[in-house]
Amino acid sequence: MKNADFVDRLSLAEMGENRCGTVAQIEGDSRFISRIVSIGLTPGSAFTLLKNDGRSPVLIFCRDTVIAVNHKESSQIFVKMES
Amino acid sequence: MSEIKTIALLGQPNSGKSTLFNNLTGLHQRVGNWPGKTVEQAEGSFVFDGVTYNVVDLPGSYGLSANSEEEVVTRDYIQSGKADLVCILVDASQLERSLYMLADFVGIRMPVMLVLNMMDVAEAAGKKIDASAIEKHLGIPVLGFSAAESKCYPEFFKKMVSAIKTPVCLDSKSLRNELVDEKKNGEDIISRIEAALGDFEYGVCEKIWIAEKILEKDKLVCDIVNEMLPFARKNAIDTILDSAEGRDGGILTGEAKYRWVSKIVRESATPKSIEKVFSKWDRIATHHIKGKFFAFGIMVVSLMACMILAFPGMGIGFGLQPILESAVERAGNALGVWPVAISFVKLVLVGGTCITVCMTSFIFSIIFVFRILEEIGYMARFSYAFDSWLSRLGLQGKAIMPLFSGIGCTAGAVCGTRVLDTRGQRLLALVLLWAIPCGSKVAVVLFLASTFFGSAAPLFGVGYVALIFASFYLSSRLFGKKLVPQNERVGMIMELPPYHKPHWKMIAAMVGRSTWGIFKKALKMILMVAAIFWALSYAGDGNVENTLLYRIGNAIEPVTMFFGMRWELFVSYLGGMFSKEASLGIMSTLFNHTGEAFSLVTRVAASENLGEALASTITKPESLAFLFASMFNVPCVLAMGTTYREAGSIRWLCTIMGYYIALSLGLGFIGYHIGLLIF
Repeated sequence: MKNADFVDRLSLAEMGENRCGTVAQIEGDSRFISRIVSIGLTPGSAFTLLKNDGRSPVLIFCRDTVIAVNHKESSQIFVKMES
Repeated sequence: MSEIKTIALLGQPNSGKSTLFNNLTGLHQRVGNWPGKTVEQAEGSFVFDGVTYNVVDLPGSYGLSANSEEEVVTRDYIQSGKADLVCILVDASQLERSLYMLADFVGIRMPVMLVLNMMDVAEAAGKKIDASAIEKHLGIPVLGFSAAESKCYPEFFKKMVSAIKTPVCLDSKSLRNELVDEKKNGEDIISRIEAALGDFEYGVCEKIWIAEKILEKDKLVCDIVNEMLPFARKNAIDTILDSAEGRDGGILTGEAKYRWVSKIVRESATPKSIEKVFSKWDRIATHHIKGKFFAFGIMVVSLMACMILAFPGMGIGFGLQPILESAVERAGNALGVWPVAISFVKLVLVGGTCITVCMTSFIFSIIFVFRILEEIGYMARFSYAFDSWLSRLGLQGKAIMPLFSGIGCTAGAVCGTRVLDTRGQRLLALVLLWAIPCGSKVAVVLFLASTFFGSAAPLFGVGYVALIFASFYLSSRLFGKKLVPQNERVGMIMELPPYHKPHWKMIAAMVGRSTWGIFKKALKMILMVAAIFWALSYAGDGNVENTLLYRIGNAIEPVTMFFGMRWELFVSYLGGMFSKEASLGIMSTLFNHTGEAFSLVTRVAASENLGEALASTITKPESLAFLFASMFNVPCVLAMGTTYREAGSIRWLCTIMGYYIALSLGLGFIGYHIGLLIF
C-alpha cells in the first residue's frame, strides 16, 4: 500500500496504456458520481487501462466491460496503479 | 372481455430489451410520447393462453437515479404501481456490472422477475451461470435466456405466467446488511437517516430505498422528503448529509450495491472473468484520426449496401408503373369507363402505390443495415469517434449515421434516428436531417442552378453546402436547448459493447415487420395527398387554365410574389413537398405545356425543353428565390410520414414543417430581393 500512496493522486487521465490499477477515489457532483457508479466504477474496482491518447475518451476494461470516460471527467477519477 | 396484465421491461442499454420487446409484441406496437415529456413511450401487446399482456418498454438506463428525463419516466412508471410484473433484463456476459440495475431496484415493492439475457454469449465466452442458484439466493423468479433465439421463448412464457400468478418482491434485508455498518450499532449513516425518516414511506418504495436515494442526493426523492417531512426531521437529515460520510453517500451506496451483487455472482457463476476484449479492430476504430476514416468507410459501405438492397424494390416500383398505367388506360377505354375515373386510378392509385413501393424499399434497406450495425455493436463506436464533433450541436456521435444516410433518402434516414438514445436527441436529429438533401433534391437543385446560372452552378453547390451547415447551427440554437437540456450534455460515459454475431433471421423478421408497418401507413398517407394533388390539378380537357390549381395559384400570386415566386413557381414549390419529381412534373406542365398535370414517379421530367422554357420565362431574381426555396423545402410526403411516426406527435411534425417552410420562404425572399438589387 505504501507504494500506492507514493504515487498519490494519480488520475485516470494521466495513466499509461495497458496498465492495471484500482479506483481509489471518485470526485464530482452527485450526478457524476451516480453515472459513474451505475456504469460499474466504484472505489476498489480493478481495471485495465486500454487506451489513453490524451484527448479522446479514456477506455478502460472493468467488470467484463469496455467503458469509455470522457477525458475531462477521467481526471476526476483517481487510481492506484499496480506496480 | 379477456383478462389484461401489464409487464414492464426494465434494463440497461444493450441488455437486449428491445429485441425481447419486438419479439413479444411483433406488429402490435404503439410508439408515442409520455404525457408532457419528450421521452418515447413504446407499448405493445401479445396474447398468451387467452390472456392479453400489455408490454411497456421502459427507456434504457444504467440505474434508477433520476438524472435524465428518461430515468425520471422509468422511475415514475415503476412507482406508479401500474405493472403487474417488472421484468428486469441483465446481460449475462457482463453479469456483475449489469446486475447493478437489480441492486438499485431492491427496496421497491413490485413483483419482479429477473431475465439473464445473452446466456449464449456468456457461454461462448466460457462463463457458466446457474440461474436456479440465483433464483434460490434472491427468492424471485430467474430465467436464463437468449432474446434472439426463438427456442427460449416457451420457457419465458412459462416463467412469466407463474411470476404473475404468484407475485414476489425482492427482499431488501440482504442489501440492507451491506449498506449498514453493523459495528456502529445503529449509529451508521443509513440507520440514522432511517431514524430521521421515522415512519415515512412513499408508495411502493421502502424506507431503505428512500434512505439510499437521499444519500445519493437524488433530486426527486429529496424534494418529496423536503415537502412531506416535518422541519426538525428535515434538519436532522441535512445535518447527516453535511457530514464527511454524507458527502460521499453516492459512493457508499454504490459500493454496497456492488458488494451485494458480487455475492450473487460469486455463488452462482464460475469466477472466470471474460478475457479482455480489445481487438486490433477496436484499436483502429477508437483512434482519434484513423477511427474517423474507418467510420467514414463504414458509412460509405453501408450507404452503398442500402442502395443495393433498395434496388429490387425500386426496380419493381419504377418498372411496374408504366406497365400498370397503360394497362389501366387500355382496360378503362375498352370498357368505356369515365375518363375521370381512369385518370384517378392511373395517377393516384397506381402512381401512388408504385412510388410508395420505391420509397419504402429504401426505408427497408436503411432499417436493415442500421439494425445490423447496432447488433454487431459498431453503433457505439460511432459515438466514440464523433462525439466531440456532434456534441457541439447537442447530439451523440452516432447521430452521424442517420445524418449521413440522409444523402440517400430522408424518409429512410428518419427511421434511422431510432438508434439515438433519448427522444430529445432523436427530435433534434430529425430537425437537422430535413436540411440534408436526398439524391432527388440534389438533382432538382443542380438542374435548377445549371438552368438558371449555367457555368456559375458549381458556386451554388458550394454555397448550398455552406447553407446546410449554417442551418445546422441555427437549428441547434433554436431547438437544442429545449430538446437536449444543457445539464444533460455531459461528457461521454458509456459502455462499448462487445462485438456480437448478428442473428440474421431475427433481424430480417424484425425489419420486415417494421417495414410492412411503415408501408401500410405510408401508402395511406401518399394516396391521400396524391388524391388532393390530383383533384387540384385535374382538368377534363387537359387545359391548365381549367384546373383548381390554376385558379388558386392566380388568386394568391400577389402574396407569393412577396417571396419572389410567381404562381407557377409557387405551385411547383408546393409540389416539391409531395416529391421532388412532382415538383419537376408540375413545372413541365406549367411552363412547357407537356405531360400530365402532375406525374408522381416520372423521373425524367427535366427535359431539355423544360430548361429552355424556364430560362426564357423566369427572371434572374425569381430564379434565385425559387432556387433557395427549393434547397430548404420540406423533403417529401414520405419523409413527413416517417417523421410523424418517429416523433410520435403531429405537433412536432407541424413544428418541423413550419420551420422549414419559414426557412425556405425566408431564404427565397432574401434571394429575390438581393437578386432585384444585382440584376
